[in-house]
Amino acid sequence: MDKLIEILEELQPDVDYNTCEDLVDGRHLDSLTILSLISEIENEFDVEVPTVEIIPANFNSAKSIYALIEKLKEE
Amino acid sequence: MSYFDLWFAFLFVPVVVLIFLLVPKKAKPYILLFASYAIFFMVSNFLIIFLLLSTISIFLAGKKFKKLDGEKAKELEKEDIDKKLIKEKYKKKKKHILVLVILFNISFLFVFKYLKFFTINLNAILKVFKLEELSIISLIAPLGISYYTLKAISYVVDTYNGKIEADDNFVRLALYVSFFPQIMEGPISTYSETAEQIYNASKVTYHNFCYGYQRILFGFFKKLIIVDRLNILVKQVFNNYMSFNGLSILIGIISYTMLLYMEFSGTMDVVLGIGDIFDIKIPENFRQPFFSKNITDFWSRWHISLGHFLKDYVFYPVSLSKPLKKLSVSLRKKLSAHYSSLIAGGIALFCVWFLNGLWHGAGWPFLFFGMYHFVLILMGNIFEPLIIKICAKLKINRESKKYYGFQIVKTSLLVFIGEMFFRADTVRDGLRMLKIMFTKMFVLSKNEFYYFGLDMFDVALIFIGLIVVLVISILKENNVNVRDEVEKKHIIVRWAIYYLLILSIIVLGAYGPTYAPVDPIYADF
Repeated sequence: MDKLIEILEELQPDVDYNTCEDLVDGRHLDSLTILSLISEIENEFDVEVPTVEIIPANFNSAKSIYALIEKLKEE
Repeated sequence: MSYFDLWFAFLFVPVVVLIFLLVPKKAKPYILLFASYAIFFMVSNFLIIFLLLSTISIFLAGKKFKKLDGEKAKELEKEDIDKKLIKEKYKKKKKHILVLVILFNISFLFVFKYLKFFTINLNAILKVFKLEELSIISLIAPLGISYYTLKAISYVVDTYNGKIEADDNFVRLALYVSFFPQIMEGPISTYSETAEQIYNASKVTYHNFCYGYQRILFGFFKKLIIVDRLNILVKQVFNNYMSFNGLSILIGIISYTMLLYMEFSGTMDVVLGIGDIFDIKIPENFRQPFFSKNITDFWSRWHISLGHFLKDYVFYPVSLSKPLKKLSVSLRKKLSAHYSSLIAGGIALFCVWFLNGLWHGAGWPFLFFGMYHFVLILMGNIFEPLIIKICAKLKINRESKKYYGFQIVKTSLLVFIGEMFFRADTVRDGLRMLKIMFTKMFVLSKNEFYYFGLDMFDVALIFIGLIVVLVISILKENNVNVRDEVEKKHIIVRWAIYYLLILSIIVLGAYGPTYAPVDPIYADF
């Protein structure tokens, strides 16, 4: 989780990732930032994020992104 | 036909509501489907066959996906099998169907919308090589083909991906594709957003009826008070731009952008208002676009449903495709995460904006419009780290109100220029208008002394209308929903507001031979 927050802060420093729960709906992360984020996640956690998983619910908070990574690891 | 036709909003809709209320629950979706097909048939006659073909094609594709998924699950239950191989086999089968159905649907769109443009440009090439030119065929497109085709594609892709379950109910799917308030100008909602809601609509309460008509009337206010008046000015400037100075052209392009916004958002007020009557929450297509910080922000607030479609069905699939992923990985060794993703994202963005331009129309000004926004968004992203550094060095607070004000003005100016190319007859005309703005900003000619064909009364009403919309937008931006606030007021105050709105439309609307009502602009896309 710490590693994920580190990645997020590097990509978009103006957000408190421990509390923010509307990263996509609140437009804190735009499409290109999400793309960079996916690239970082795939690189760091050795998973593949399919397009079908790119929905606001999966990217609205650091917690939900981490849950997605965990789910993809299991698959 | 237009949603602003009085017979549609004040006769057709109430009659549909009445019949809808009278029939038993089971028959309600059939009434809505009949109303939708009736509107379609009224405008496009037997071209309704293409709407049916699209609907049938995605219905069958969805069923086939479901069947294949069932077969796959059965095969995977067996022991001593290569699961990966089976998954691959079924994925391939499904992919073939997906491609076939998308091509089938796009081919209609191509023939009706792009064949003429394609033939004209192909002939230009044939002429260079002194080959025989092809004859140009002009076809009248089925109503809302640009909208319902995208809805059809979104359904078939979502069922392919397993995001939604394929629908076994043809009426529900047909209603989703053709729902009469959405057929002409969208919003391009996804199946999961509206299909169930429309199919299950069962009541029209007095509250919903008033709440819906409140919004419909606001749409009429925008159209009849502002749009049809601004149209006179816009026509004057765009048709005779050579005889105006830069300032007048600037006024012309701002007016055109306002006209476009009021016309399209006003139509959405009618569309969403009809949805409200049936208690169907159709997704919003606008969110105060002129409070945008940058062009990316603008496009997340303007024609939202098209942006969502292009993001979900073009941007991510292209940028996360195998070849672009490979490119990103290899670039990561040389560049930072920001720039390596930007290159893959940039290629996907190009596809998005090329298609966005093309979707708006078969013509070079539209493609130019798309490319203009592509360049602006790409530049914005490339220079963002630099701008952050410069602001930090100059101690500019990027969170301050002043900076936000500066961002709004900058973004709006860029939008006005983009819309100028969008409206101009040719790209060359747009470039000439831009040149006049830079070289003859304040040079006076005799044309500047006229009010662009409007009298003082018209000008005053345009201003009042725009101020009303601006105040409501500021309140909305600050999370105050004016409609809900009106709802809370005492019945006398509430009805006084309704009557004021109705009276202002009846008395102050642009009627008569002086005004040529603006045709629904977005229905042509």
